[in-house]
Amino acid sequence: MIFEWLHPLLIATALLLAVIGAVRRVKLWRAGQPDQVDLMAGLMAMPGRYLHDLHDIVERDKYMSRTHAATGGGFVLSALLIMLVHLLGIDSQILAWALLASLALMFVGALFVFKRRLNPPSRISKGPWMRLPKSLLAFAVGFFVLTLPAAGVLSDGFMSQVGGVLLTLVLTALIIWGMGELFFGMTWGGPMKHAFAGALHLAFHRRQERFGGGRSTGLKPLDLSLATEVGGVLGVAKPTDFKWNQLLGFDACVQCGKCEAVCPAFAAGQPLNPKKLIQDMVVGLAGGSDAKYAGSPYPGIEVGNAKGGPNQIITDGLLAPETLWSCTTCRACVEECPMMIEHVDAIVDMRRFLTMEKGSTPNKGAEVLDNIIATDNPNGYAPASRTHWAADQNLPLMRDVKQAEVLFWVSDGAFDMRSQRILRAFVKLLKAAKVDFAVLGDEELDCGDVARRLGDDATFQNLAKRNLAVLSQYKFSKIVTTDPHAYHCLRNEYNDFGSDALNGVEVFHHTTFLNSLVQQGSLQLDPFIGGKVTYHDPCYLGRYNGEYEAPRELLRSMGIEIAEMERSGFRSRCCGGGGGAPITDIPGERRIADMRMEDANETGAELVAVGCQQCTAMLEGVVEPRPQVKDIAEILVGQLVDPTANGLAKEVH
Amino acid sequence: MSSHDLLDIVRRDPRAEWIARNRLHPLHGTLVDDDAAEVRGPSGLLRKYPHRVGFIGPNGIKRIDRLKGNAAASGKGRRSAAQEVQLPLHRVENPDFYIVVVADMVGGRLTGHDKDVLGQAHKLAAGIEGAGAVLTVGFGSAKEEHFDTAGVDRLLVLDDDIYEGYCPEQRLAALLQVENEYQPRHWLFPDSVNGGTDLGSRLAARLHERPAVQAWQVDHQTAVCRGAGGTMDITRETPRLLMLAEECADQIDETRHEALPVTLTPVSVISQLQDQGPVAVDPNAVALAEAEFILSAGNGIHDWDQFHAAAAVLGATEGASRVAVDDGFMPRFRQVGATGTWVTARVYLAVGISGAIQHMQGIGQCDKVIAINTDAGCDMVKRASLSAIGDSEEILGELIKRVQAFRAQPSIEGDQDAA
Amino acid sequence: MQPNSSQKLKIVTLVSVGKHPQSGRVRRADQDSRAVELGLRLSADQADGLVVLHAGDPNEPSLRSYAGMGLTAINVLQLDPAADAVAPLGEQLHQSGADIVLTGVRAESGEGSGMLPYQLAEKLGWSIVPRVADIVSVKEGVAEVLQALPRGQRRAVKVRLPFIASIDTAAPMARQSAFGPAQRAAMTVTVVNAETDTLRQSWHEAVAKKRPKRLKVIKAKTAAERFKAATAKSQSEGGRIMKQESAGEQAQAILDLLVEEGVLR
Repeated sequence: MIFEWLHPLLIATALLLAVIGAVRRVKLWRAGQPDQVDLMAGLMAMPGRYLHDLHDIVERDKYMSRTHAATGGGFVLSALLIMLVHLLGIDSQILAWALLASLALMFVGALFVFKRRLNPPSRISKGPWMRLPKSLLAFAVGFFVLTLPAAGVLSDGFMSQVGGVLLTLVLTALIIWGMGELFFGMTWGGPMKHAFAGALHLAFHRRQERFGGGRSTGLKPLDLSLATEVGGVLGVAKPTDFKWNQLLGFDACVQCGKCEAVCPAFAAGQPLNPKKLIQDMVVGLAGGSDAKYAGSPYPGIEVGNAKGGPNQIITDGLLAPETLWSCTTCRACVEECPMMIEHVDAIVDMRRFLTMEKGSTPNKGAEVLDNIIATDNPNGYAPASRTHWAADQNLPLMRDVKQAEVLFWVSDGAFDMRSQRILRAFVKLLKAAKVDFAVLGDEELDCGDVARRLGDDATFQNLAKRNLAVLSQYKFSKIVTTDPHAYHCLRNEYNDFGSDALNGVEVFHHTTFLNSLVQQGSLQLDPFIGGKVTYHDPCYLGRYNGEYEAPRELLRSMGIEIAEMERSGFRSRCCGGGGGAPITDIPGERRIADMRMEDANETGAELVAVGCQQCTAMLEGVVEPRPQVKDIAEILVGQLVDPTANGLAKEVH
Repeated sequence: MSSHDLLDIVRRDPRAEWIARNRLHPLHGTLVDDDAAEVRGPSGLLRKYPHRVGFIGPNGIKRIDRLKGNAAASGKGRRSAAQEVQLPLHRVENPDFYIVVVADMVGGRLTGHDKDVLGQAHKLAAGIEGAGAVLTVGFGSAKEEHFDTAGVDRLLVLDDDIYEGYCPEQRLAALLQVENEYQPRHWLFPDSVNGGTDLGSRLAARLHERPAVQAWQVDHQTAVCRGAGGTMDITRETPRLLMLAEECADQIDETRHEALPVTLTPVSVISQLQDQGPVAVDPNAVALAEAEFILSAGNGIHDWDQFHAAAAVLGATEGASRVAVDDGFMPRFRQVGATGTWVTARVYLAVGISGAIQHMQGIGQCDKVIAINTDAGCDMVKRASLSAIGDSEEILGELIKRVQAFRAQPSIEGDQDAA
Repeated sequence: MQPNSSQKLKIVTLVSVGKHPQSGRVRRADQDSRAVELGLRLSADQADGLVVLHAGDPNEPSLRSYAGMGLTAINVLQLDPAADAVAPLGEQLHQSGADIVLTGVRAESGEGSGMLPYQLAEKLGWSIVPRVADIVSVKEGVAEVLQALPRGQRRAVKVRLPFIASIDTAAPMARQSAFGPAQRAAMTVTVVNAETDTLRQSWHEAVAKKRPKRLKVIKAKTAAERFKAATAKSQSEGGRIMKQESAGEQAQAILDLLVEEGVLR
């Protein structure tokens, strides 16, 4: 009987090849830079992360999550049992039956995968991925039949009796095909690579804090001393300049295109597709070209011309710099990615090289950075004019009062005439609620958000340290800001610089803070009378900091029933104003802000409530007629019940 | 019938009449048409108001023109001739010293800056003992007719061919000759891009003088100059050679001067610099930030060919609003505004731009804004010195025609403007 | 822009400490960095073709932002802050055998008189071309340069090497200064002795005062004119809005204003 030795041999060969492939693949990853990860703890936590964190994201698409559970679960179980039953030859009917059951499960799952692939949406990659359901079916069927004798359903002689050589050949072919895809392909770069790399990615993820429902959105600081080290380079020039676990992360990509579907730059026809970007990183780390890529291209750039290798400069041939500068850092791709890949980290890492080594920040980028360096604000205004907007506001300065309960972080909106309206509205609310607050005045600097997203981490760190030095002189328990970008920097990115200025300090976005004031009853509001209102979630408030509820509650407290846009909450579409995108200004076919206003128009809203001055500027930049755009603070001020006027009225009565 | 009767009855309002009679009543102005000398009274009679008849004549005496303007043709000439007053002549017979002003003379005429420097020269001369004469040196053929009233005591015009074009070395040689022949107490140059700075610096280097540069407050003892890129004031003893900022001193306007021509021994040098002449520059190639006349397009432009044609005819640099750029009609570097380029144009002609706040910030430094728009209530119209409300295509079309006609006519006016 | 590269050009750019007009913070000076840019472009095809020279403090941080434009080294003549830099710079240039020396028109810090290139030219006996926007070509020892004239106009001038050019703000924008190269560039220091600028020590320097705008003084010749001048309404602030007029009339009004402003030429 040839089966007695042929199939175990085939399985052993496939597994051996898989191990060789795995070692080879691991070597590719290890060419990256070291990163501190607890390997053992990660591996131990991996199954839990898979079942919980990853599955939670996949669960957003019920069809896919069930299909994947059946197929993936069935395969993992089958693979283990195949080793026991067929490789080690353990003769146990129970095991064999279990194997049959798991193969059946896998078969059913694979049928659904097959069905999905019959008419796939454009975001999904084709090419090798189209044969995956067939390979899965081949594997399941092949091993099912092979296992039948072991389960005692058919006698051992069945094969030789009935099918003879022909059946043997067919069966062997199915098994080779199945194992070729599922074992060999897993580590040699087939579609199944995602299972191998994905599992390890979960274990060694660069942002371990994300697991267990946590949030980790702050960019990692760059070690500036690399600049003067021999062979040191700032940012990522070559694939090997990524951390090794970032490279591993790229390999985990399943090319499901969820990122592509939500990317605002892609939708606007700018030359960015997050999925293609990750695939290009894979090409870079393994060497070769993107000729085999079978998904949507970067809009306007043909597939097949990109070439790269682990030690080649990425922007020389693998990736156009415009691709990197198209990103608004809105994190929609990261939020959607079932494999928890960090696209934004990778993009900013590569931008750092372009800005800090090559000095090639496009369009107004160089000028803005120069301005930030020379005047601490992006437009080059005189630093002394930072408080001009508040000349009539009589704001207490920290320099004078030394301490206050709340520090109001004004942000660079102080220089912009539109944003000043928001600031004034917020000050009026603070005063109405009798909040003990103060501002830094001229001592406040740009928070560094724009500089950092444009890749100039040196300038960001400089600003952060100087801001922290100022903050450490004063006593306060809360910081409130109307700018989600400053909010994000203060809350998530200023903690990396060894300052205790923010120890025990809570950072709030003004909507959160105002909401608590309204809930406490410190602010009395009239019901809002007006047309339909919709709310636009700023990326840096929502996805970056998880605040979706407070602004909505505030609107509801004025009796507003929010007409939600189709894309809202964590799926909110960016306004196009983040990540320095308006500065680098990569041309596309449409404007992101126009698309967002289209979303708002679909709700029939007459007013778009916003919680970010950048979003306000972008959305107001849409040509009229369009709904009005107002910051929530501005809407609140309009509905504010003046307590003094009320009191007088009562006395008169 | 009855309604007709009602209309025929003249109803008097005694209070209104009383107010109309009382010129001190606060409501007087609302009832009386101030400008009219003849008013229909309440009873329909024509009332003449003698205080409002006539005009104030040149000598401050009221004149009543009983010809009702028909005598204007004959009377006007005489009146204006009477107004022209002969200014007193300032004479310097035998000057004790000279102050030399090297004028830019752009287009052969004294510039405003030159006149400021001449004023400064007299201010300096007045502070120094003795009678000083202001010697003005000008290069190239002079078309200026009013050297006398600008404060020129002595005039040296070097209009040989060798002084034409850009020839700083030749001019320097001439100035050295002046130095030899007149030993001026002070050398004054306008600190300008029209050549004054260049020549002044060359002479200072040659004479080993330490000039005062961007000097703006100068007397015979101390000079205050702008240093460090205009961020610092340097107060120092007044040096021999000064390069003066614009509006450093008041121009001469109360005296007339001799403007006696003087001569100079001819000199000539071998020039290392060869002037190849001006290079044709497309107004559109001028950087937006330094353009002095911008024609800017916004969302309201539909005929882009016409817009570009208008810019060409007007000789204006093209600008655009953000929307026009986003829609792909104009390149990004043409965008005006807080997010584009901050412009400093003297005249900003905004066509079809309603004026987003960022755009208005970007044109904050413009002197005159002209708006062509369909919406009279937009922010750009509020900002503009002149607004034309209507179809931009039609107005631009008319403007192109008129500018072409204007350019076709013999340019007497243009000539006068060049100074 | 590409000059004839048949001969090897030696280009020296002199850089000074800049000062931001709004914040007063030190930076790379605008014109000087344009001079570096022009130098880099002229010497693009030859390694180490451009020498960047500074007289002053080698630890001056703004020098790093020049280095960030991609310079491997900056030569610094270290001298006393109160010293006059002309003599040592002239000496250095004389020895270096430079073909073209590029400077800014006026420095953003210090006296900022713009005399340095002239004094150097005088000292070295070279030609000087002020306010250069571009160097078009260098052929057989003669350079063709474009001079910047007011309002974006240009003039072509031919000049024999060696010469000094002061670079105008109309010259191509300086490339971005990148942090990495800025940190890596070497400061090659030469300590020199120079005479103290004694004249300057007697000067008084203060933060610039705002200059009053000249008022239009009305010199009336008659009592009536004086009266008129005193009582005349100031020009109305609001602009003139033409709504009912025909397009022709509106266009004429616009044309009149353009002529009055003297922008039609």
